[in-house]
Amino acid sequence: MRLLEYQAKNLFRQHGIPVPRSVLVSSMADLRGLQYPQVLKAQVLTGGRGKAGAIQVVKDYAEAASTYPQLLGMKVKNESVHAVLAEQKQGILQEYYLSLLIDKVSAAPLFVASAFGGMDIEEVSREAPQKILKLAIDPLLGLQSFEIRKLAFFLGLPEKDLTPFMQALFEIYQAYDATLIEINPLAHTEAGLLALDAKLVLDDKARFRHEDLFTQLELEQKQNDGEYLDSSQKLAKEWEITYVPLTGDLGLVSDGAGTGMFTLDLIKDAGGFAANFCELGGLANADRMNKSLEILAQNPYVKTVMVSLIGGLTRMDDMAEGISTFVRKHPDRFKLVVRMCGTKADEGRAILAEYAIESGEDLVSEVARAVELAREAAL
Amino acid sequence: MTILIDQNTRVLVQGITGSVGAFQARIMLEYGTHLVAGVTPGKGGSSFEGIPIFNDVEKAVTETAPNAAICFVPAKFVRDAALEVIQTGIPLMVLTTEGVPEKDMLEVLAYARSKGTRIVGPDTPGIISPGICKLGVHPAMMFQRGTVGLVSKSGALSYEVGRVMTEAGIGQTTVVGIGGGPIWGSRQAEIVRMFFADPETQAVVMLGEVGGRMELEAAEYIKTHPEKPVIAMIVGRSAPEGAQMGHAGAIIEGHEGTAQGKIDALKAAGVLVATKPREIPELLREIGIKA
Repeated sequence: MRLLEYQAKNLFRQHGIPVPRSVLVSSMADLRGLQYPQVLKAQVLTGGRGKAGAIQVVKDYAEAASTYPQLLGMKVKNESVHAVLAEQKQGILQEYYLSLLIDKVSAAPLFVASAFGGMDIEEVSREAPQKILKLAIDPLLGLQSFEIRKLAFFLGLPEKDLTPFMQALFEIYQAYDATLIEINPLAHTEAGLLALDAKLVLDDKARFRHEDLFTQLELEQKQNDGEYLDSSQKLAKEWEITYVPLTGDLGLVSDGAGTGMFTLDLIKDAGGFAANFCELGGLANADRMNKSLEILAQNPYVKTVMVSLIGGLTRMDDMAEGISTFVRKHPDRFKLVVRMCGTKADEGRAILAEYAIESGEDLVSEVARAVELAREAAL
Repeated sequence: MTILIDQNTRVLVQGITGSVGAFQARIMLEYGTHLVAGVTPGKGGSSFEGIPIFNDVEKAVTETAPNAAICFVPAKFVRDAALEVIQTGIPLMVLTTEGVPEKDMLEVLAYARSKGTRIVGPDTPGIISPGICKLGVHPAMMFQRGTVGLVSKSGALSYEVGRVMTEAGIGQTTVVGIGGGPIWGSRQAEIVRMFFADPETQAVVMLGEVGGRMELEAAEYIKTHPEKPVIAMIVGRSAPEGAQMGHAGAIIEGHEGTAQGKIDALKAAGVLVATKPREIPELLREIGIKA
């Protein structure tokens, strides 16, 4: 789960990271009595706010009062702005970059730091990798003083100034299962080091440990939620089934991510156009199979569905039960092409046969048939 | 020979009384895998299909001497279950569970490194050495004993490929599912290295997908160690950028992780790249692998 800037900064404050004085603006009245100049920052989850004009410096109340409604009305990469943060403008002496992220390759929490902050760190990494220091932390030992010293020397900052930032980042990683915490820029100002921006991503897989926090953050973001989701996506989200909308007319359900991606490739190779990618995960049951077809049924353009199944953990008799539950309820909604093999496939095929649903074992020829049926339906 | 598991593998099953654990344990038993112990806290003293169940791993290790473990517990308990196994020094552990928190995996892997336990997974079907031992949930009828090593991120894709190889009469030494990520206990390059070191394995088939750079690492390894022929297939050529394609690790971010980038790197390393499973047995035959 990605946090809005102000949400991340609230967590920063709780962990002792200095941030500029700020107000989450809820009406024009909030703009009165502020110490100008201020920076008005649209609160959106997408990056590139500065370039999109969603961050504006205002010199007085009059300017703030005209800029605030403009920001509220704008969209940043299709995301509507529902909240604006007003922050005291800072005199910046130098901008640094500091982040802590879960590094997939070293399988460790990794600090990334640079004395060249404020810009796109990926770009710095490509153009001048010597300007970046990456430091993997032992997940069991935790952050040590010598590691803080190493980063402080590299950045040319006093160790005592950097310590609270690095300690807080590590605490936030540990306390909330953060997968990315980024301060860019970490600004050297007359008032000392300040986190001017904040990016924070929490691990959805660890939600069970932080149910209250997730619920609260979601509630705050609620206005942003769901507005770009079509009815298939909404159901998929509710039922926690992987669903990626695409632009074609052939529906796709698979019981694994790899098979799903491969089936998608085969559909394309056969000249077909997939309407979506939808996979049940390795531990699918009849209910999830039925629900995935319900999700696809929300898309009126889909008349044909390719069901791509190969059973390992997933039992094919369960899958067939799920398919037949859907067919009982919506007898003529789809032309179904089912590819089924693996664990309990014979039992599964017997169930499908009762409903006159054809199924085959060879994926390539079943995909070809599904593409053909979708083409006929489009004519 | 095989890699990772063989006829001497003695297996401890965590979560043997759960519905998935029990179902899969029975299938492993039928396949001939030596299951020596089950662990379910609170059910110690009872048994499953004649296999003793213990309350804790340490006691199971003392009494039954397993040298491999497989874990079928829900995501929120995987960290604890894995640490318990690692502490006893069991050298190999398969984590089948999907959705384990990333921080938990970092801690499990760090502890595993310090104790010398190899982790395979999470989110994996596990390992099968056809005809000899099955430490996982692979549908056995899709594999047969042979001379090709098979390593895959996706479980189901390894079934697809195993099936067409087996139909063509080409069997496997060992089939390893490394899991859907985004954190991996064992990486493709490591498994490829093991297959290169195994005298019976004559060629390696590697199945990958979009996202991350693990296939690029494997390509680098193969380029500098061109010891055996490698055939690869990368799925997700038609995956859109920025969408998570089911596996936690399968996401194209900018230019990073595209199928084409991986295919190019593998080809540059001398790897033969297939686009469909059916091409794989044909390529294997061309390089001299016999049915």
